[in-house]
Amino acid sequence: MSAGNNQVISREGTTEIHAQTAGSKAVKIILISVSVIFLFVMLVMPLITVIYEAFRKGLIPYLEAISDPDTLSALLLTLEATVIAVVINTVFGLFAAWAISKFRFRGKKLLVTLIDLPVTVSPIIAGLIFVLTFGRQSIIYPLLESIDFMVVYAVPGIILATVFVTFPFISREILPVLEAQGTDEEEAAALMGAKGFTIFRRVTLPHIKWALLYGIVLCAARAMGEFGAVSVLSGHLRGKTVTLPLQVEILFGDNKFMPAFAVSSILVVLAVVILIVRSIVEYIGKRRGEK
Amino acid sequence: MGVTLALLSIMVMIPLASLVVFTAKMDFSDIIKVITRPRVVASFEVTLLTAFIASVINAVMGVILAWVLVRYNFPGKRILDGMIELPFALPTAVAGISLTSLYADSGWIGGIFANMGIKIAYTRIGITIALIFIGIPFVVRTVQPVLEKLDPLYEEAAGILGASRTRTFWKVILPELRPAIFTGFGLAFGRCLGEYGSVVFIAGNQPYETEITPLIIMSELQEYDYSSATAIALVMLAAAFLILFLVNLIQIRNSKILKGGH
Amino acid sequence: MYIELKNINKSYGSFKASDNVNFGIEKGRLVALLGPSGSGKTTILRMIAGLEKPDSGEIIIDGKVVNDIPASRRGIGFVFQSYALFRYMTVFDNIAFGLKVRKLNKQVINERVTELVRLIGLEGFEKRYPSQLSGGQRQRVAFARALAPNPQVLLLDEPFAAIDAKVRQELRKWLKDMIHKLGVTGIFVTHDQDEAIEVSDEIIVTNKGRVEQSGTPIDIYRNPATAFTSAFFGVTSELKDYKAFKSFDEVDEYDKAIVRPEFVKITKKTEVQKYKSSAVEGRVETVEFRGNSIEITVSCNGSVFSARRSLDEPAVEVGEIVDVFIYRIFITHGDSVKLLKNNAIREETVVI
Repeated sequence: MSAGNNQVISREGTTEIHAQTAGSKAVKIILISVSVIFLFVMLVMPLITVIYEAFRKGLIPYLEAISDPDTLSALLLTLEATVIAVVINTVFGLFAAWAISKFRFRGKKLLVTLIDLPVTVSPIIAGLIFVLTFGRQSIIYPLLESIDFMVVYAVPGIILATVFVTFPFISREILPVLEAQGTDEEEAAALMGAKGFTIFRRVTLPHIKWALLYGIVLCAARAMGEFGAVSVLSGHLRGKTVTLPLQVEILFGDNKFMPAFAVSSILVVLAVVILIVRSIVEYIGKRRGEK
Repeated sequence: MGVTLALLSIMVMIPLASLVVFTAKMDFSDIIKVITRPRVVASFEVTLLTAFIASVINAVMGVILAWVLVRYNFPGKRILDGMIELPFALPTAVAGISLTSLYADSGWIGGIFANMGIKIAYTRIGITIALIFIGIPFVVRTVQPVLEKLDPLYEEAAGILGASRTRTFWKVILPELRPAIFTGFGLAFGRCLGEYGSVVFIAGNQPYETEITPLIIMSELQEYDYSSATAIALVMLAAAFLILFLVNLIQIRNSKILKGGH
Repeated sequence: MYIELKNINKSYGSFKASDNVNFGIEKGRLVALLGPSGSGKTTILRMIAGLEKPDSGEIIIDGKVVNDIPASRRGIGFVFQSYALFRYMTVFDNIAFGLKVRKLNKQVINERVTELVRLIGLEGFEKRYPSQLSGGQRQRVAFARALAPNPQVLLLDEPFAAIDAKVRQELRKWLKDMIHKLGVTGIFVTHDQDEAIEVSDEIIVTNKGRVEQSGTPIDIYRNPATAFTSAFFGVTSELKDYKAFKSFDEVDEYDKAIVRPEFVKITKKTEVQKYKSSAVEGRVETVEFRGNSIEITVSCNGSVFSARRSLDEPAVEVGEIVDVFIYRIFITHGDSVKLLKNNAIREETVVI
């Protein structure tokens, strides 16, 4: 009976001692209050500030600020970089996770470490290494110059930086799911004569779709918000190499506070949407996982 | 496999290699000269100190938040839980300007402290606050799953043996959480050392006082002094690897205790 | 009575874990709570410990109602099924935990822990972590940790479940001796009747949240008081139609007829069968060597059931036609049980 009953107990989560250790009412109220106040001051107030400052002068100035041509071109560039980063990293993430989980080979650990590296280095250093690779002092600079392909202080640099800082996001989410799943089902499908892509679509994809979606959401969030690395490679040419976060920086630096917050408000809305989508995806994924 | 390696090479290995190549061309004494410049040393101090304090505060708050989210039920818990990831989702620049205006002397919170004679924005306190913001999710998200999976039997055993709630927490629960706390702390600390976007606005960037290391690298780059930028970056990379190494060390020690072996 | 449960009820949602449970235990006894999975035995143990609160009824320890006394002040020790040793504490710190909590001075703690470590035979292991011990050693540490604060009552939840069979035997005896030596009152939960019979002074059989029967092992074995106990205890087989077997009294209404191997005598056609006229023919289905006896299943009158033969007797083979004589049968009806003896041996003394 112990097994059956322990389940009952843990599901209800109300054993006597457990209730006692969870604490007296006073402790509970204090801890919840501390948490709520902390998160309110640290997370909610900044959001409120953005919205408040953005609409400080009313709706018309707000609309004017966000329809400024520079801002619109920044929005377009941000979307461009985000979409490219998501596409490249999805492709990479699928291949990398698949290769790592389905094959055994030497240097697997090194590969995983290398893939994770971009998130562990400072965004400024991420920018720096691309400057060193493609900048004026680089060996390949003359070559790039001859074909008139500029990376540093140009759009390709921004895109590269964005892809780099979000590089592991998708593979990292898929990998654990694939590893847990093993190769049995794929092998069974292959024995029944299914082709590679069919196997992927019919057998592998259903397993990883929630992890993939979650990874895409994380990747998109980070891509549109990246500041440090992009800042290094941008050169801040208005209307050309400025993304939304950089536009915020420029406006703020010019003491145009209201427009800076107006632009920020777009990013805040996107961030909140991403958080909600993330919660939903995670919730559904968990429920599916349990079934 | 081919696609994986090709993309990995273009995106990670070639850029990293160029860092190595560039460093190899530099003179060791030059590197030392750059990184011992008083202004650079001061920036190391500012960065390390603020990142450390912020991560310690986040470790404490992270445990409290994880505890509250796992052990208590109250209205709005799901929202609170979902909110934790906000620092990951909100662009750092937005966080930066928002925190700056909030904690400036004219801001809602900064104003209260200004009346008491405490300046927050454009001081090291301001940097610390920005770093706290950035580091919130790390400890919560490493501790939370451990706390969820923690077998209630340990607490029951401690309770029957006569331990008070407080004692049970410190002697029985906390040791179980400790590896996760250190991991979260290490991740947050590493992130804080390299953080740029949320800090530059609130820091004030006063040399020797509130100038962080990533900002120095940034300004060297803007002056096309790639050697200095690289030299300083190497120190930061070394620090980041050291942290990763320590986190790994803690985990190895921990699994030794849990999985046996002598 | 040292420990008494009076009219205890406990439900989890719609699941009734304890249904009007009543029993008493005398001081110094080692009692087994025996029952199948889900029978409510662990809940009873946890309620005595104070880990669960009964919905109604009284729990009395040493003359005091302890319902509102927290687990920490009931003077009990508890050994968990998975031991719940603190993973980040050494053997020494685990055993010392309950003493440090009581703010005893360091020397007293040291002496007591050293004494207990010696008692459980783990000298030299004080600085090890639980993960560095074998299952049996962990169990001993859990035992010492529970005993450290000198509890009057020791509760053990499936204490041998996580130990491999070989060590289990040895630990059972060790535990029994230890508890009697220390003079504490012990209650342990088990689903293994061999364990209950071997270790306990007294068995309380539980089923579906109720206490079916309590008594000494031999008493319960000989005289099952309920239908459940008669079918649960021992190796039992059911006879499809007991009336097909000769010389039993007829019972009008019954649910099941149950036999145990020791109720059945199997003789080869070449051997002498004293009650030949009351025996029936059966076919040997399986023959298995059980270490100290041969276990045989026979099919007979449409029923299949087990019997035993001694190793000294001539071997029987699968498919062999043998004489089957049944000494006695348990007949159940509803909750009650009745023992039927074979009339052929009624007047004689039978040794089973």
